[in-house]
Amino acid sequence: MSVSPPRRGLFSWLDRRYDLAPLAAFLQHKEVPLGVHSIFWYYLGGLTLFFFSVQIATGLLLLVYYQVGEQTSYESIRFITTKVPFGWLVRSMHCWSAHLMIVSLVLHMLSTMMLKAYRTPRELTWITGFALFALALGFGFSGYLLPWNELAFFATAVGTDSVKAVPWIGEWLMHVLRGGPDVSGHTLYRFFALHVVVLPLSVFAVVGLHLLLIQRQGMAPPLGREAPRGMRFFPDFMLRDLLLWLIGLILLATLAVFLPYGPRIPGIEWELGRKANPLAPAYPGIKPEWYFLWVYQLLKEFPPHILGLEGPQAALAVVTVLFAIWALVPFLDRRSRRDEPSPAFTDLGVAAVLFIGFLTLKAWDIGGGKAAQPDPQAVARACAIWAFGAGLVATALRRALWHHAWFLFSAAALLHIALHGLVGMSYLGSGAIAAIAVAAGLGFTRFRAHRTVPAGDRP
Amino acid sequence: MQPESAAAAPSRRSVLDLLLGAGVLGWIASIAYPVLRYLKPISLQEGAGPLRLTREELARLERERSLILRSGATRVLVFEDAEQRLRALEARCTHEGCTVQYVPGDSNVWCACHNGRFDLDGRVVAGPPPRPLARWTAQREPDGGVVVAPAPRTEQA
Repeated sequence: MSVSPPRRGLFSWLDRRYDLAPLAAFLQHKEVPLGVHSIFWYYLGGLTLFFFSVQIATGLLLLVYYQVGEQTSYESIRFITTKVPFGWLVRSMHCWSAHLMIVSLVLHMLSTMMLKAYRTPRELTWITGFALFALALGFGFSGYLLPWNELAFFATAVGTDSVKAVPWIGEWLMHVLRGGPDVSGHTLYRFFALHVVVLPLSVFAVVGLHLLLIQRQGMAPPLGREAPRGMRFFPDFMLRDLLLWLIGLILLATLAVFLPYGPRIPGIEWELGRKANPLAPAYPGIKPEWYFLWVYQLLKEFPPHILGLEGPQAALAVVTVLFAIWALVPFLDRRSRRDEPSPAFTDLGVAAVLFIGFLTLKAWDIGGGKAAQPDPQAVARACAIWAFGAGLVATALRRALWHHAWFLFSAAALLHIALHGLVGMSYLGSGAIAAIAVAAGLGFTRFRAHRTVPAGDRP
Repeated sequence: MQPESAAAAPSRRSVLDLLLGAGVLGWIASIAYPVLRYLKPISLQEGAGPLRLTREELARLERERSLILRSGATRVLVFEDAEQRLRALEARCTHEGCTVQYVPGDSNVWCACHNGRFDLDGRVVAGPPPRPLARWTAQREPDGGVVVAPAPRTEQA
């Protein structure tokens, strides 16, 4: 073998030291599967990561002037937005990017759900993704307090009070989160440390693991397709990724410049308002951020006592169970594990959107007019009309476009909405009827499957 | 030296494993315990007790008919009802800990966070709060001052 003369250039300089050639070969051969569905869904994780990078960059810029403290937090944010050149833009970008990150994260998670990308062998990728979702909610919640304004104060008071419902350690946990019995300057210090150190470090670690798992296994091919066509990751997919990031940046900049305080919809606004005053009452119309609205509304729907529990405890138990089901989907969905179509879990995703969507509309008092205390019946009716209509359209589209035939969960969600909003039953009563209908429907489906499917083919 | 019996070897191994495991657990506990104790806030505030309103607070009560004060770690709502009687209740909503307010028009106490309503004695009238607000007493002194104090246990709603 003849010895070739040493090549020049940075790559060969690095290659001689770190043996990069296998990595380059790997990148050249790495492929993204192409299937029947739109490849758009494969870009949402990258887009979420892009918005997270914007958060790190704008967060670092905010740290230059932000001073945490009961006497300084509000004042320094006001200084940033009114005195520092482009300070308003940095804060506006930070807030908008936070919301856009949650939007793209939720869409990424829903698309993973609908395409069953979580199926074996990618269960841990889904679990790490779920952990990232929880961390993103933690970012939203802890960042909310930092301006130390009225809205922040009560949102944090409610959020930290709700952890009291955790069995055995609830009270201890609430004190640890707040740094005392009430939300105070100590809470600010703790949330600041969480927001700028603990959560970012955790996200780096979990994102690293999430990406490592994806790198190791490749992206999930469409369900039931053994050898799909592929698109080269580098440069074809990468360039498309970059293009979407650019579009994301343009969207972000446009929103941040033209709507610096958000669209002024409750839950999507960040006007600084008045400074937090622990001795002022909560003001009418106070709402948490849009992605917490459904939990806020659920807390309102529960009566003072139910099944031997206090209302808030029962509501948070329901939220915990729903989150646990969502986190464990890869282990519950046995059909997709065998690479078979799994229409029940597609329908579960649609039902989750209907359930959360209806509660969110109610939290916005849609149909309540301008009254400070809207009529709950009128609100329930108007929201039910919207949610029920949207649900029917979605069902018709699923039937016509994708020939879906499994609608048990979404039908139960629609039954719940109709009984509560259109018939006028209580939210929990109609929910119980819908739950019984689901149980009966599942029992019937199982019974029919046992009678018609030969024993060897049973799911 | 006698060769060890086959039965004795695993038992010595398992004792060592047990000791090692216990050592690791002790090591974790010796780190976790101080950290957890460090995170638990120490109580710097005194417990709730009787409170005399300042001149400014009296003027505000006169003007706005209600006022929120702090006694130790407790927030107290003091207000004047339609019969101009002074009343006081703990201001922390029993639902999710928001601060309640007196609504003179409806003659009740309201929490804006989740629409909980209480009567003037602190009993739940509507909405999700699971328990009544703790009662306090508010008394006018002969010199015109006002003293607010936790109500005796027997007077709680």
